[in-house]
Amino acid sequence: MAATASLKSSLLLPSPISDFSGAAISISAQKRRSSWQPRGARVQVSAAADSKNILVMGGTRFIGVFLSRILVKEGHQVTLFTRGKAPITQQLPGESDAEYAEFSSKVQHLKGDRQDFEFVKSSLAARGYDVVYDINGREAVEVEPIIDALPNLEQYIYCSSAGVYLKSDILPHCEVDAVDPKSRHKGKLETEKLLTSRGVNWTSIRPVYIYGPLNYNPVEEWFFHRLKAGRPIPIPGAGNQITQLGHVKDLARAFNLVLGNPKASQQIFNISGAKYVTFDGLARACAKAGGFPQPELVHYNPKDFDFGKKKAFPFRDQHFFASVEKAISELGWTPEFDLVEGLTDSYNLDFGRGTFRKAADFTTDDMILDKKLATV
Amino acid sequence: MALCAAAASTATAFASSRLSASTARPRGPSSTSLPSFVGAFPRAVAARRRRRAAAAAAARRAGVTVRAEAKKKSVVIVSTNSGGHAVIGFYFAKELLAAGHAVTVLTVGDEGSDKMKKPPFSLFSELTSAGGKTVWGDPADVGAAVGGAAFDVVLDNNGKDLDAVKPVADWAKSAGVGQFLFISSAGIYKPTEEPPHVEGDAVKESAGHVGVEKYIAEQFGSWASFRPQYMIGSGNNKDCEEWFFDRIVRNRPVPIPGNGMQLTNISHVRDLSRMLSLAVEKPGAASGKVFNCVSDRAVTLSGMAKLCAAAAGVAAVDIVLYDPAAAGVDAKKAFPFRNMHFYAEPRAAKEALGWTSSTNLPEDLKERYAEYAASGRGEKAMTFDLDDKILASVGKAPASVAV
Repeated sequence: MAATASLKSSLLLPSPISDFSGAAISISAQKRRSSWQPRGARVQVSAAADSKNILVMGGTRFIGVFLSRILVKEGHQVTLFTRGKAPITQQLPGESDAEYAEFSSKVQHLKGDRQDFEFVKSSLAARGYDVVYDINGREAVEVEPIIDALPNLEQYIYCSSAGVYLKSDILPHCEVDAVDPKSRHKGKLETEKLLTSRGVNWTSIRPVYIYGPLNYNPVEEWFFHRLKAGRPIPIPGAGNQITQLGHVKDLARAFNLVLGNPKASQQIFNISGAKYVTFDGLARACAKAGGFPQPELVHYNPKDFDFGKKKAFPFRDQHFFASVEKAISELGWTPEFDLVEGLTDSYNLDFGRGTFRKAADFTTDDMILDKKLATV
Repeated sequence: MALCAAAASTATAFASSRLSASTARPRGPSSTSLPSFVGAFPRAVAARRRRRAAAAAAARRAGVTVRAEAKKKSVVIVSTNSGGHAVIGFYFAKELLAAGHAVTVLTVGDEGSDKMKKPPFSLFSELTSAGGKTVWGDPADVGAAVGGAAFDVVLDNNGKDLDAVKPVADWAKSAGVGQFLFISSAGIYKPTEEPPHVEGDAVKESAGHVGVEKYIAEQFGSWASFRPQYMIGSGNNKDCEEWFFDRIVRNRPVPIPGNGMQLTNISHVRDLSRMLSLAVEKPGAASGKVFNCVSDRAVTLSGMAKLCAAAAGVAAVDIVLYDPAAAGVDAKKAFPFRNMHFYAEPRAAKEALGWTSSTNLPEDLKERYAEYAASGRGEKAMTFDLDDKILASVGKAPASVAV
């Protein structure tokens, strides 16, 4: 398995940022400091004036894993608030022993349940933090104790979701567009409102579909399971629905760029990939990334089936994509990964090594394929 | 980087001759004047941006200030005598005249031809009363048609291939024209599964417009190519929204091929003329570039039908989806838009020219409908042979779609 994986890797596209190289981080640090540092001067990051005492709500599962590394490298003091169910740190594929030792020795843990609002308030008040990155908040009520505990908070950086946008025939979604107060992400909207009403210096990031190594949402993994099994890929409707994937490392870089950035004050930014992709196109891109032959795509009408509680396809059956132009023009951020490069990075560092979060389940696939056979 | 951006925003404010007219779509706080995004090759773009910022910083240190170029120019627009692109030159001419430039429109063919009875040609008095010149002639001999006059800028809004444009380009070069602009087409992009089409994406090498772009890039130091899609706007020579209105006002179903989710760009032509004007105002910024000449939002085909119905004050529209092959019709004849995603974004114009989009389809279509209703076209007898054939092939009662 490992031999096959490494052979495939050598045939695949190179992963531009498969490690946490200092180069990528110094570029973003230069961009952020460029307004008061002469260009070309190597920015010395030290635990001095620029260093912040940062609390990350979450941080041990996906986005925060990459973000916390960037923050520690930037010289900040980083504490992860989690229940401790997942290991506080884990060595990432592609991360050297030395880098991992450096990171894990510096990052701190505050163990607790964020649903225990009294504990949140008292423990945060006792410690004091300059900045909060709220990566796993869902409801406004979870955020109140944090704001109450930290009256001198410099910035609240919130991981929201492009899922708040009202469905539209006019696209892409932009930050100024109407939001849907009934969406299942309405807790994110209420949080954004609460932050505004409390006069907190907040920044809200709205990702679309996030992908990359360690993804616990079966986005690329769903395709990789089928490709590996040599199965056809069942796609609802015509397969021309357009979606958008954003690499987790690009997202982590964006989160870092808003830190202490006056352009980010009280602002919302969509963060995702530079281009969008059709459902059919995504299946084919995953095949390219994993070095698989191009798959057979089977289209079906979801209304012809009752899948019960199972999800037959990992994406909303509609167009869903957002413009990232605001972040690019105002933060100096650019998404580094194009789709096939990013999927290749994910494949090389995760699925291609034999790791995945959810075991393959082809129940709904078989329902669809059986029906197709029956109608032939 | 911050100072470079400030200079650009000053230039944009200086050059901008209008406030955004859109009211239904509120714009939040955003600095769209900052140089931003080209998209296809992000790392190269980031590197290029760092180099440009460094160059701007060097210029500042040398005491050179960045100013918008406000010189008045003389412009000749070689205009097609028919088709969807005709209206572009008309709006561009009006904008240039309003900004004080000297404009000649050379329309292909004869002034007396029947084609001149249709808009925008029938509206040319708007140009002449504003000081513009309108002449007719053969693009193979522009010099003769313009009586040997000299120009700073040429816009070829006529040719689709080198046979048609080469004589214009060659005349412009020999006449010492400083800037050559070309209306190309977003139709030259190779189909992709990763929309949108952005500048730099692969194009169909055999396309006539591609041959033109290559030629003018070789011939001119200062050139730009503009790739439009579909347009709405008073004076349009080709039907766009009218196709939907014709059916909606007669309570007829609207047949749409495929699943109606195909995305396309339908822009108000003022967005296109604005982009062209900025290229004339900032030739250095425009030089050597291709620009997707479209608004910054796309709409689905079904969405366009619904918006047209809403603009017409109709509560619901009957959308009938069909497979052209099964219905035995040629989709190109039965439907005015491409039966596929045809979706480009105007990233280069925003980044290089500081251009912003003002198209607001829900609002703009209301204005379009008002003109449609006033024209009496809705009462004219019309036949819908292809529609009827499609509806017969589908054979089921169309369902109303609430707008």
